[in-house]
Amino acid sequence: MINSVFGYSPLLIALVTLLTPLASAVVIALFLRRAGGIASLVSTLTAAVVAAGGLSLAFSGARFGVNELQQAEWLHLGSFTLSLGIKFDDLSALMISIVGVVGLCVHVFSLGYMHDDEAKARYFGGLSIFMFSMLGIVLADNLFMIFIFWELVGFSSYVLINHYHQKQSAADASKKAFIANRVGDFGFLLGIIACYYAFGTVNLTEIGTVAAGGVSANVIALLLFCGAVGKSAQVPLHVWLPDAMEGPTPVSALIHAATMVAAGIFMLCRIEPLFAASPIALDVVTWIGAATALYAALCAITQSDIKKVLAYSTLSQLGYMVAAFGLGRLDVVPEGASGSLTFITAGAGAAMFHLTTHAFFKALMFLGSGSVIHGCHHEQNIFKMGGLWKKMPLTFITFTLGVLAIIGMPGLAGFFSKDAILYLAMENNTPVFVILAISAVLTAFYMVRLWKLVFIGAPRSDEASHAHEGGISMTLPLIVLAVLSVVGGWATIFGGKLSIYGDKFAQIFSQIPEAHGADHMTILIVSIIVMTLGAGAALLFYKSESTDTLAAKAPTAFCSLNCLQGSFDTIYNGYVAKVQQPFAKALDLTERILISGLIIRGLAGVTGLVGLGARALHTGSLHTYVYWFLGGAAILWAFAGGWIN
Amino acid sequence: MTVGINEYLYLSAILFAIGFFGVLLRKNTLVIYMCLELMLVASTVALVAFSHFNQTMDGNVFVFFILTVAAAEVAVGLAIIVALFRRRQTIQVEELNALKN
Repeated sequence: MINSVFGYSPLLIALVTLLTPLASAVVIALFLRRAGGIASLVSTLTAAVVAAGGLSLAFSGARFGVNELQQAEWLHLGSFTLSLGIKFDDLSALMISIVGVVGLCVHVFSLGYMHDDEAKARYFGGLSIFMFSMLGIVLADNLFMIFIFWELVGFSSYVLINHYHQKQSAADASKKAFIANRVGDFGFLLGIIACYYAFGTVNLTEIGTVAAGGVSANVIALLLFCGAVGKSAQVPLHVWLPDAMEGPTPVSALIHAATMVAAGIFMLCRIEPLFAASPIALDVVTWIGAATALYAALCAITQSDIKKVLAYSTLSQLGYMVAAFGLGRLDVVPEGASGSLTFITAGAGAAMFHLTTHAFFKALMFLGSGSVIHGCHHEQNIFKMGGLWKKMPLTFITFTLGVLAIIGMPGLAGFFSKDAILYLAMENNTPVFVILAISAVLTAFYMVRLWKLVFIGAPRSDEASHAHEGGISMTLPLIVLAVLSVVGGWATIFGGKLSIYGDKFAQIFSQIPEAHGADHMTILIVSIIVMTLGAGAALLFYKSESTDTLAAKAPTAFCSLNCLQGSFDTIYNGYVAKVQQPFAKALDLTERILISGLIIRGLAGVTGLVGLGARALHTGSLHTYVYWFLGGAAILWAFAGGWIN
Repeated sequence: MTVGINEYLYLSAILFAIGFFGVLLRKNTLVIYMCLELMLVASTVALVAFSHFNQTMDGNVFVFFILTVAAAEVAVGLAIIVALFRRRQTIQVEELNALKN
């Protein structure tokens, strides 16, 4: 137990790390809205503070809020108390390091990429509020607090996707992202309430204690999983992520590839004791993950927008992580041993490991694509690029490293984490293993296709032939992330001697499934075959042309892949047009007749009638009034005399 | 014939009825006003009669109050009628129907 980091208490450092981005967002929103230059510096400085704070906490080994609670009461509602607290274990330490490093890289990259943007202040303010929200999720010690920051992340994502709000497509995309997330969040909220109802607590540590007793909680686990389905864009709520590419490219790198969408996986790992005792929920999670991995990989093949390819690739990799989580781990915890707090059944180790490496190489590739888009004067169509390796050598080298990492080139980050997942699947669930292996082939296929079309051959447009490398602020993050994409996977090889993580995240990395002996050979061979198959096919198949080779040679396959990609949107649009809209109209009609018709207009009508009658009494003639007076006096007299009771 | 309380009350009732029907039926505001005064006076007759036959001063005291209030009322009422006439050139009630609608 470490009680001080650089002489300060770890709790204080955690609070500073959490609140600095909030302060930055507030300052930018209140004072710096017209001063984009200063706002960008403030925000980037904040990201540096976050990275420094997060890394110093994570690597000093300070862990708190695990056994003893670090929380403050926030809200009393009857017998229910809502606390805000911090839980900083190995999981959140790993996550805060990723968010800090990737966040800083993206901020620095944005300095260059967004240099000429008119609404720079809003953009950097959005980044700051996003950092705050994300750190809140990472540090939260109970589900309600996670939910609060979860929604804040949704809000900041909305702001950032909608950055180019003059564009109708960007406005639609941000709305779509928000609504799709709401659907998942509804399930998440129900899950939290069900959790409180069933266990009487939403504190993560206490849930762990309760769940360690072997309580089966399939329904609660699945409801909570809904939140992850929305945020981590799993089938069937994945539709928002490809559209979210309407936002600025660094945003796509930070939010829609490396951190926010990973929040779903992180949240699953947070509540994994719940899943540990819920085999049905784990099966559902596995299959949804596998389905997403395969579906998104298929969709990625036909995309012509550089960011869309990366978006579907992100979906596919997220599917990998979710599937890995659901697959569980290799050795089953014996019955008697389930009393201990640290027992882990779900495949959190493999999922978090892949999350880590994926964050590095996907952020690298997104920033690389940002560099390409910036260099080509905002041309995003890969068929209008080509030959960029000569014009943008640094982007080319780093992007190539990213591609090699994601397709699983031995020695690079993606190789280790993907192998861990494939091995887990091979041992536990053969059909899922086959699906994941096919997705891996497809991943290699579409990534190499992208790489070849963008960088190899001759330039196919004026923009591409005049492409140029961005400034230092755009190349530096690429280099940092490229290095991390190479070494990020060396967590456990050679007994962890080469690991950049040291032994700081032992709780997570000790859970990474490792193949030994014959299994090791098998998985290595499978993995290399998968990679060469996909990459080789793409290299041979695609020509450096301005049309899609697949569309030219096999139009049927191309069309069916396109239909597959659009199928969910078609179904949802059909549902909205055929089911939801008539239902809304029926509701509207009922409202018009019953509420505004009968109740509101009815009340007004009755009042009006009474008024009409009362008005008739006023004739304006003095004599009529005297008669009314006489009548009144007669009735009063009758009362007084007792003739009327 | 002796004049008892009944005779006073008959007189009072007759005067009151004359005043009341005057208010109901006459069209001239001034006449209506005089009829109102007649009703007040009719009630004071009854009060004085009660006071006399009960050997108390209550009724008499009441009458003083009523006369005082009536005098004040006349001052205000006549002023209103004069002002009304100046403005509208009439004091016939059927033409004074500005309250209608």
